[in-house]
Amino acid sequence: MTRRAVPWILASLALMVLLVVLGLRIGSFATDYAFIAHTLLHYTPADPVQLALVELRLPRIVMALLAGAGLAVSGYLMQAMVNNALADPYLLGTASGASLGAILCYSLLTTLTVGGVYLPPVAALVGALVTTLIVVALGSQRGQLIPGQLLLAGVAISSLTAALGGLLTFMSSSEGKLRTVVFWAMGSFERAGWDVLPYPAGALAAALVLLVFLQKDLNVLLLGEERAQTLGVHVARTRWILVVTAATLTGCVVALCGPVGFVGLMIPHLTRWLLGVTGKANLLFCALLGADFLLGCDLLARLLYPPAGLPVGLITALFGVPFFVYLLRKKRVTL
Amino acid sequence: MTRLLSRLFIGLPLLVLLIGCHSDDKPAAAAAAETSQHVTDDLGHSLTIPAHPRRIMSLAASMTEMLYAVADTATIIARTQVCDFPAAALRKPVINSYPLDLEGLVALHPDVVFTVEGITSLDDIARLEKLGIPVYCQRYTKVTDIMRGLTDLGRLLGRAPQAHKITDSLAAKLKTLEQEVAVSATRPRVLAITWQDPIYVYGENTLFTDRIRLAGGQNAVTEHFPQPYPALTREYILKLNPDVLIGGSFGKLDSTFFKNYPELKRIKAYQNRRVYGITGSLMERPSPRVVEAVRELQHLLRMP
Repeated sequence: MTRRAVPWILASLALMVLLVVLGLRIGSFATDYAFIAHTLLHYTPADPVQLALVELRLPRIVMALLAGAGLAVSGYLMQAMVNNALADPYLLGTASGASLGAILCYSLLTTLTVGGVYLPPVAALVGALVTTLIVVALGSQRGQLIPGQLLLAGVAISSLTAALGGLLTFMSSSEGKLRTVVFWAMGSFERAGWDVLPYPAGALAAALVLLVFLQKDLNVLLLGEERAQTLGVHVARTRWILVVTAATLTGCVVALCGPVGFVGLMIPHLTRWLLGVTGKANLLFCALLGADFLLGCDLLARLLYPPAGLPVGLITALFGVPFFVYLLRKKRVTL
Repeated sequence: MTRLLSRLFIGLPLLVLLIGCHSDDKPAAAAAAETSQHVTDDLGHSLTIPAHPRRIMSLAASMTEMLYAVADTATIIARTQVCDFPAAALRKPVINSYPLDLEGLVALHPDVVFTVEGITSLDDIARLEKLGIPVYCQRYTKVTDIMRGLTDLGRLLGRAPQAHKITDSLAAKLKTLEQEVAVSATRPRVLAITWQDPIYVYGENTLFTDRIRLAGGQNAVTEHFPQPYPALTREYILKLNPDVLIGGSFGKLDSTFFKNYPELKRIKAYQNRRVYGITGSLMERPSPRVVEAVRELQHLLRMP
């Protein structure tokens, strides 16, 4: 870890602690810090306020942290893969594929729970992975991923899945189903529970461990394909690993929280801005900053519109769109 | 000269016609006033409709029930795809209300279209009015609004006696129901859900609040939200801790709602198995079947 990264990593960890503590206080039941501390040390599930703290507020916070970290890391990987700062985790059609899966589930099924399994996240994950596979198949030639082709394939397949989703929504027989689909598409952590958290947590941990070994190749790839090849990086293999990792991470997050936008675009950019393009701790800091950002957005969403909170995707868009415009205008980034 | 004569030939009859029209202006206006009425609907829109509408229709299932209660049923020219009560309505031609089949509706030449606030978009209302079809919109937040709505419809359709007969009968029945529950000491707090994911409920500013009061209970949601059907978090519902939950039978909600939200098994309604389903059309529609709706709620509240 470089000297430059240490203060930033410590600051992001401190911010995370602060946001978690604040997040534990926001809710319908009034709770003070002493009560929160007491609950965490001596949890009594019979008390509804303690139950709300441990079973509802805490998993929501952890979900926001994992989703933020997952999307930020995915965005970092995608930007490295296509070597473009405007790339994001949804480039591969993951979000629209997940949306189509969820919409299929909400519109066509009469019961959403089968054998104790809540189906929409499962359908969303399947939709995300199938769409990503199609995009990757269209964006590769003879086993090599072609970034430009992949981008265009992502745009085309995303449009197709969005149109199919739109058709199903339009044909929806009930206003309630329509509301569910619209609500899902804007992203939310309200459904978070301890039972589903191991999936995004596992995916994120596996991705970070894998990327520790790939850190050097990843940094070189960020400098451009030609330079990476000159420096001995196996570009084709690295790109495949990045795509599979990013797709799995994004799929897990989108399946559980809906397509929350702009995290994967903004955070990797901020990371490189603060720590440099080839910083050794970039991925770790990117994950921490993404987690802080999304938890902060969720707290803001809950404070602005209690009790249900605004969809978190609206808040991230409020920050993300001006940032995107800034990137386009000031940095003259080209596609 | 020839040109002057030809101009006179064309000009004179036109002049006569204009003078004739001018001299008939006042009686024509008076006749129009006799054959039309200027009214203001519940949203404050002013509109002109025939004094005796002969071709009417509704764009809401509840409004169709209201029209069947008051109007001459022969004057009802169509129904929407969701209008399924009374059974006689099913024999009428169908006009899709969402998305609105504008062309089909215009082809039926209705004198006036009735609807309910929130069911037909303001945009659709504006488009219909642009096409010369007046749209009369009603708003219901209390049970008394249904009575007023029936009375207004009776006045607009020249059926005031029929409307009064129905409203008098409904008022008497509701008074009896209210007196029956007045003696019971406790009013259970009832939460009615309209959708499970996300959890939407009947808010404080809906007709449900008045209906459940008449049935002897009280709406568990007492906070005022901008939307009539607010989305609630699980924590909020835990805090409400309702005595009764309406939205589906215990078995059905146990395998869906409470399976997805196991934390909510802590609420009194689940603990005491006071979780009930209710006839959807009675619960959702502000209609002349309000007495049946209140009776059904009353029956549920009396169950052990």
